Amino acid sequence: MMNLAPNRVAAAAAVTALACGLAAPALAEYPDKPVTLIIPYKAGGSTETMGRIYSKALGTALGARVIVRTRPGAGGAVGATEVAKKKPDGYTLLFAASVTLLWPPLTQKVEYTADSFTYIGQVTDYQMALIAKADAPFNTMKELVAHAKKNSLSYADQGAMQRAFIDYIGVREGVKWIGIPTKGGGEMVPFLLGGKVNFAWSGGVHQRYGNKMKVLLSFNKGRLAASPKAPSMPELYGVSMPSHALIAGPKGMDPAVVAKISAAMKTATADPAFVGLMKNKLRFPINYVGSKELTADIEKTTEGLKQVVKATQK
Amino acid sequence: MFQTPTGAPCAMIDSLIAGFGEALTLWNLLFIAAGITLGIVIGVIPGLGSVTALAVLIPVTYYMSPLAAIAFLVGVNKGGTSGGAVPAILLNSPGTPEAAATALDGYPMAKRGESLRALKFALYSSVTGDTISDVLLIVLVVPFAAVALQFGPLEYTAVLLFAFALLAGISGDSPIKGLLAIALGVFLSTLGLDPVDGSQRMVFNEVNLYDGLPLISIAVGALAMASVLGQIFDLWRGGERRGSKEEYARVRTRLPAREFFGHWKTIGRSALIGSGVGMLPGLGVTLAAFLSYGAARRASKTPESFGKGNPEGIIATEAANSAVVGANLVPTIALGVPGNIAAALLIGAFIIHGIVPGPFMLQQHGELIYALFASMLMANGVHLLIGRIGIPLWATIARTPRAVILPPVLVLCIVGVYLPNQSLFGVGVMLVFAGLGLVMQRLGFSVVCLVIGFLLGGMLENSLRQSLRLYRADITAVFDSPIAIAFLALTVIILVRAIRRV
Repeated sequence: MMNLAPNRVAAAAAVTALACGLAAPALAEYPDKPVTLIIPYKAGGSTETMGRIYSKALGTALGARVIVRTRPGAGGAVGATEVAKKKPDGYTLLFAASVTLLWPPLTQKVEYTADSFTYIGQVTDYQMALIAKADAPFNTMKELVAHAKKNSLSYADQGAMQRAFIDYIGVREGVKWIGIPTKGGGEMVPFLLGGKVNFAWSGGVHQRYGNKMKVLLSFNKGRLAASPKAPSMPELYGVSMPSHALIAGPKGMDPAVVAKISAAMKTATADPAFVGLMKNKLRFPINYVGSKELTADIEKTTEGLKQVVKATQK
Repeated sequence: MFQTPTGAPCAMIDSLIAGFGEALTLWNLLFIAAGITLGIVIGVIPGLGSVTALAVLIPVTYYMSPLAAIAFLVGVNKGGTSGGAVPAILLNSPGTPEAAATALDGYPMAKRGESLRALKFALYSSVTGDTISDVLLIVLVVPFAAVALQFGPLEYTAVLLFAFALLAGISGDSPIKGLLAIALGVFLSTLGLDPVDGSQRMVFNEVNLYDGLPLISIAVGALAMASVLGQIFDLWRGGERRGSKEEYARVRTRLPAREFFGHWKTIGRSALIGSGVGMLPGLGVTLAAFLSYGAARRASKTPESFGKGNPEGIIATEAANSAVVGANLVPTIALGVPGNIAAALLIGAFIIHGIVPGPFMLQQHGELIYALFASMLMANGVHLLIGRIGIPLWATIARTPRAVILPPVLVLCIVGVYLPNQSLFGVGVMLVFAGLGLVMQRLGFSVVCLVIGFLLGGMLENSLRQSLRLYRADITAVFDSPIAIAFLALTVIILVRAIRRV
């Protein structure tokens, strides 16, 4: 498989710009060369699998070749930094979880902020939930909080943001519980089912364990499709975790190009191969959202994140 | 508790048959054959072994399906381990330390004019030892994984400390130097984002360091590149010293199967020793080879014939070192704790292909694991075939001047590290570690200890900090876990014994 080196892409872009004359509306015929889609995660994960299949459909809808390049590192911050610094010409795009763009700027030293990107469109929502073992002595958030007031509870998280959100619930409810860091769903599951922790954050892996686990809360904006009875975090606490899988570009993209990519994304989300993957393998609901609505949603989510950071980080 | 995918033995055989169905494709066989051939070729080059072969070839697998990739790498590992016997026998210069004991009897046999017989002894022993070990792996991995489910962070912490103690006790000049090298590795593993609260540790605002130093750069740099550079320096200073032009008359060349299997006692004992060593985390192939050689000599009626061309010496070494290859996947698959560097590199490859090793690997990727087992068994057949047909070719490669072979290997190291992330940062880290590895080698510090310390250091920190948080830093929690007590006690005993010996 051939990947174009980034500097070659940049060189090609420069040549194109010169050829068209700097003032000419060079983007009128977008796309006239291959588009690079950067996925800032390791190969093999669910986002990367999704991105690879999706890129084919997107290429067909866009009428250009879409080249996928993985640029893993720092939970996605390496790839996000790279895209944020690119020319906003629509030829370098990022396929990522919104967490990657919103959370690191608030808590770590990175060279971008949530405003460094143009949000083009959303593809799906990760299915993030607060889960417990099926036989845990609590069935609702209320019962969990009551249980925590009498016992010292531990939970498994998979990163600093998840811990911040669960601790935020603790702050709001006036209880203290201790987060045990685990590396991904593969480590969280034995911790939960082996009874080492009382509850856990899940990024969707619980859907594969059916009746061995129960969902108490959705961290998403709304309730989860597979567990409609569990309330969502905004219903109880007014904030939600960034759950979007989206495509973004560098800040300052031409609105016409954004509209064109956005339209192609809408077509691509109906592609049979992509639909099959989402339905049968990943079990994420396809949820296309256009640029304008997505940007507004991102702004709102960021406000919630700031609130959580303020309440939990000293 | 949970169910393992295979409850009864017959269910296991069913899974295995299904695995064969999955694995028996032309492409898969081709990848296995390619892996074994490349592994033998690299193993045959004096000074390079299975670790170098794996490190250099892992990036090649990025574009294969997970099964093909793993089968290919297992082939490389098998071939790389057995290939070292060729230069040991023909040139008295073992390709790898694990084949050093092969030279003791192989070279005298070659001098007697029995070089072909010695090579056949080596190959047949490798394949037999490997097969026995693979069968043990398949039989043991399910019960092992069931036990592993009892392992929480506390138990993992104890096992990892145990692995460090074992490793320090057997490698390098002294256990103190071994411990120092491990400690350096553990220290280096703490670079990057803190696993608990995500704060930055020693990253100097370099975003490439957020995930810590890249394992593949350290492994290729400190192990492969440092050893190649070391040999190049030696060549530059002293010229090529090889017994390569010696050709001996071939007196006896035939080795009937009946004669080979007449040594069944040695074969069986060596395979079991190799498998046993392979199942313990941190122990190397070299140890298995020497333990087995010693055991064979002690059991022999004519111990004085060892070292003078007794084929039992070859059998003992080669059956044991190849038996490590299969058995070290038991802790790798069941616990996610690699048995040695080769298994560690395999874990890296598993993760790249989206498979996280550990007790749940069997549940989540059961089909793949059984297809892998089937591939391993098939690989033994392929190994026998390719190894046997290729004997004249391997002999030629073993005689190629190192000055011709080493420079391209250097290039492969650089390309291999650059490819996965397409970043020169990884290449820079590799060059630094090549220098460090070279210095450590010359000063008698074990580079293997450094790399294993680095690899397991992250796991140790994770488990230790999980335990501290989970048990609210209450030391008495240790006494509730018999597994943890047992491993911690063993750790202390091994360390005390190792240090008293000095």
